[in-house]
Amino acid sequence: MTETFGGLTQEVVSGIALGCIYALIALGFTLIYKATEVVNFAQGELMMVGAYVNFFFVSALLEVPLLNGVWAFIIALVGAVAFAVLFGAFLDLIINRPLKDEPVFSVIMATISLAIILRAVMAVIAGPMTRIPPSPFGSSVITFGGVAISTLDMFIILSAVVLVMVFYFFFNRTKWGIAMKATSEDPMAAHLVGIPVKKVYRNVWIFSMVVATIGGVLLAPRTLLDTHMGFLGLKAFPAAVLGGFGSIPGAIVGGVIMGVIETVSMGTLSFHFPWVKEINDIIVWIVLIAVLMIRPAGILGHEEVDRV
Amino acid sequence: MKIRNIILLTLLVALFLGCAGREPTPGVTDSEILIGNIQDLSGPMKELGMALPHGSNLYFNYINGKGGIHGRKIKMVIEDHQYNPQKAVAAAKKLVEQNQVFCFYQVIGTSPCEALRPTLEEYEIPLIAPATQSGTMSDRSRRGWKYIFHTDTGYDKQANILVDYAYEQNGDAKVGVIYQDDDYGANVLKGIAEAEERHGITVQKEAYQRGATDFAGQVMNLLKGGTTHVIIGGVVREPIIVMKTAAAMSYAPQFLGISPTMDHRVVLGAGKEGEGFIVANFAQLYNSDAEGAKLYRELFENSGTDPKVMGMYNFYGFMTAMVLVEGLERAGKRLTRARLIRAMEGFKNWDGMGVFPGISYGPSDRAGTESVVLVANRGGTQQIISDWIE
Repeated sequence: MTETFGGLTQEVVSGIALGCIYALIALGFTLIYKATEVVNFAQGELMMVGAYVNFFFVSALLEVPLLNGVWAFIIALVGAVAFAVLFGAFLDLIINRPLKDEPVFSVIMATISLAIILRAVMAVIAGPMTRIPPSPFGSSVITFGGVAISTLDMFIILSAVVLVMVFYFFFNRTKWGIAMKATSEDPMAAHLVGIPVKKVYRNVWIFSMVVATIGGVLLAPRTLLDTHMGFLGLKAFPAAVLGGFGSIPGAIVGGVIMGVIETVSMGTLSFHFPWVKEINDIIVWIVLIAVLMIRPAGILGHEEVDRV
Repeated sequence: MKIRNIILLTLLVALFLGCAGREPTPGVTDSEILIGNIQDLSGPMKELGMALPHGSNLYFNYINGKGGIHGRKIKMVIEDHQYNPQKAVAAAKKLVEQNQVFCFYQVIGTSPCEALRPTLEEYEIPLIAPATQSGTMSDRSRRGWKYIFHTDTGYDKQANILVDYAYEQNGDAKVGVIYQDDDYGANVLKGIAEAEERHGITVQKEAYQRGATDFAGQVMNLLKGGTTHVIIGGVVREPIIVMKTAAAMSYAPQFLGISPTMDHRVVLGAGKEGEGFIVANFAQLYNSDAEGAKLYRELFENSGTDPKVMGMYNFYGFMTAMVLVEGLERAGKRLTRARLIRAMEGFKNWDGMGVFPGISYGPSDRAGTESVVLVANRGGTQQIISDWIE
């Protein structure tokens, strides 16, 4: 019994770390959706691009003599975030602005195309080999009460929590955040009351790209760097739906629930009930459908009521 | 005059019959043999899609430089299947009907190769050295078996040998396996089932989906099951994450790997957590003293290619090219698909300049090698620690 409990605790902790990875991607989905009501299906690929850019910086900086390893990682992160700001603005220019008055379907198709293009371009630039990015934390592990967690996973959890708090505060307590929410509700009305709608759109793409880059930087040493790492976005999307699409705390709640279910069903549940292995793939989706049947807007989502 | 006419007529008839009997073989001209290769150039195994054909071309160019095979130079056309079996079938039909290739060579992946079986039967076209170690490739109960010449020791055989090794090391061993939930894993499990029967044991089995990035649940289960030896049926990412996850849980079984985990990046990526990792491999290493390996290194260095490309996958392309060239040489000047098949069936313990343990085929045998060597990670370098094991 104690052994089962210990194993379960370990799986839950590992699941939380995995869930926070989903949360970081889901947060990117949420940010763009919150301000523009568009689902950006290239979010996973934005994370992949950010991770590669950081990797290029780290690799180059680690070659520089006299540059301390820690500083190389810090400078590389600053460089990657700077790139993310520029790239986010560029995406706003080529995806969001030309399509802002078009049907949502067109914008979604554009983001799917963007995902394919980014994968192909990065494969050309970076080559086909899977890269092994160095981790600033090495392989260090923290153990408490028999439960182990790597320093990298600790940072992933910490980053997800901090970013969710920052953006929650931003959207609910700052003028710019409220302006973004207003733009999402009614762009025309927002424009009429003096909100710089174009700037709002640009900033939200920049935020989304920066979040994706931070997620990619943290994720790459855990999963290795590959142009297909963006497919994790396909798992983060149901996490965002589960938590409540458009809800910032919902991103982390949905992500963590999915991560824990995935790890526990692969672990303790499969160990005691071998038939669970056969349905491992669909457990998360069963939970998602069950939650949506009870709460169609997701766990922390708000149902929209249209007045007639 | 009459006799002259009869002779002339006889000659014309003979010429006509001769031409009718010697319909040109697709893909073969007086100066060239065209072969078709279907790789994953833009899917999940794209890195192999670059490394394998590059290694093959190193050897083909070497042979072409020496005048080719019976005066014909080898030319390889490559199509992309993105590791998608349906796309592999479409690519194969294009290669046969449009490009008119003579034979298929080194198509990558178990599922794509399995999907090609009806196409091989339909066109009666051989597939030499499919780039997969699945034992199903030489399974005579499957369609189109007689057109496939498999070089590598199957995953099932490898898994069998690794279980034996675990019991040789420790009579009380408890063995577990982490396998990919697809054709690759199914073939590993086939070998595990055979080993279970032979040893009268039960191996703990943990599955993962292709592309998985977290193995905490599976590793925790192996820890709870008290496994002392864990066989990993993965490629590069999986063994690295599995070994690191286990180390984080202070769980230190002997990790053993099926041959795709032999990539040197596993050693690099796993770091100290990968120390002692033992992998089964069906051929000598690219940096070994085998004559074939020496030739590979020499040709590679002369080619001016980025040194990072040198490695097991690039060498794999090179080795399998040697198999195809040997078959084409043996098929003789009057090359046809049927002659190539007969020539391949004549291989008896052919070792490709010391690279293979000895490849043998026969009219009812399509499994090239049945042995492996064990390669261990010792201080960050891979070292062979055994003789050929059957």
